[in-house]
Amino acid sequence: MTREDKETLIRQYAAGDITWHALRERGFDNYVEVLSGLGELGLKYPVAPMAGPNVEARQRGIALLRQSLHHQAKP
Amino acid sequence: MSRVYRLIVTDTSPLITLAVANELEVLLRPGLAIEIPDAVYFEATRVRTAPGASRIGAWINDHSDLVRIVPTETGIDQQRRLEEGRPIRGMGEQAAIEALDIFLTKNAEGQALLLFEDSDILKRRAVVDERVSLISTGDFLRELQTAHLIQSAEHILDEAARSGRNVEKQREAADDAEAREALRRQLRAGQSDEPGIQG
Repeated sequence: MTREDKETLIRQYAAGDITWHALRERGFDNYVEVLSGLGELGLKYPVAPMAGPNVEARQRGIALLRQSLHHQAKP
Repeated sequence: MSRVYRLIVTDTSPLITLAVANELEVLLRPGLAIEIPDAVYFEATRVRTAPGASRIGAWINDHSDLVRIVPTETGIDQQRRLEEGRPIRGMGEQAAIEALDIFLTKNAEGQALLLFEDSDILKRRAVVDERVSLISTGDFLRELQTAHLIQSAEHILDEAARSGRNVEKQREAADDAEAREALRRQLRAGQSDEPGIQG
């Protein structure tokens, strides 16, 4: 994979067009490479919008996390 | 909470992101026992000179009461593949499925919270088991920010990308034998210091 190919893939990843899973299939070996690419290109870590087939499972996850944090905060 | 809860790390990326940002401690804030499948641990730490890798190992050792590496059949297969020079890419995810099955089989009433990387969580098949919930690294950090447990989710993610640039420069292929020995040490430590099952 050329440096240009890598840059293109990292840009697609930052835009949310492709996944880390897809990057791995295309030759990225370690997530440090991805973070490095984002840093070098001045791009942001892609934060997932609340969409897709797992919205319900994610909402359950957020509720469970909130419950855990609330439980932890109790004296 | 009387049920049994687990936070299962499904892939290397959340671990590496937080390690590179030097923020692994945030994973402990919810007070949930954490399980890291052996193949995920190995994938995340086999580049031994990367600061993220050494931080992950040290963090697990420092919190062996809450963080456990889960031995899986996939992990054994991963080691065999390495010895035979075959690729091991993506085996962490397979090991995470196995770790989830082990947890749910042992704890019929258990609740598993699976930590995913943001881009991957959008493309997963729908999770229908009510005992299984998902959270992305971004969701996780945003909730901590809302609870005033961290200053800024964005700062942590930006810091990971900024530091990643420096980390990559130090990257060097790991010596497999040494990395395997490190995994064995972690597993032995986990077996002798099993965390409590209480959530």
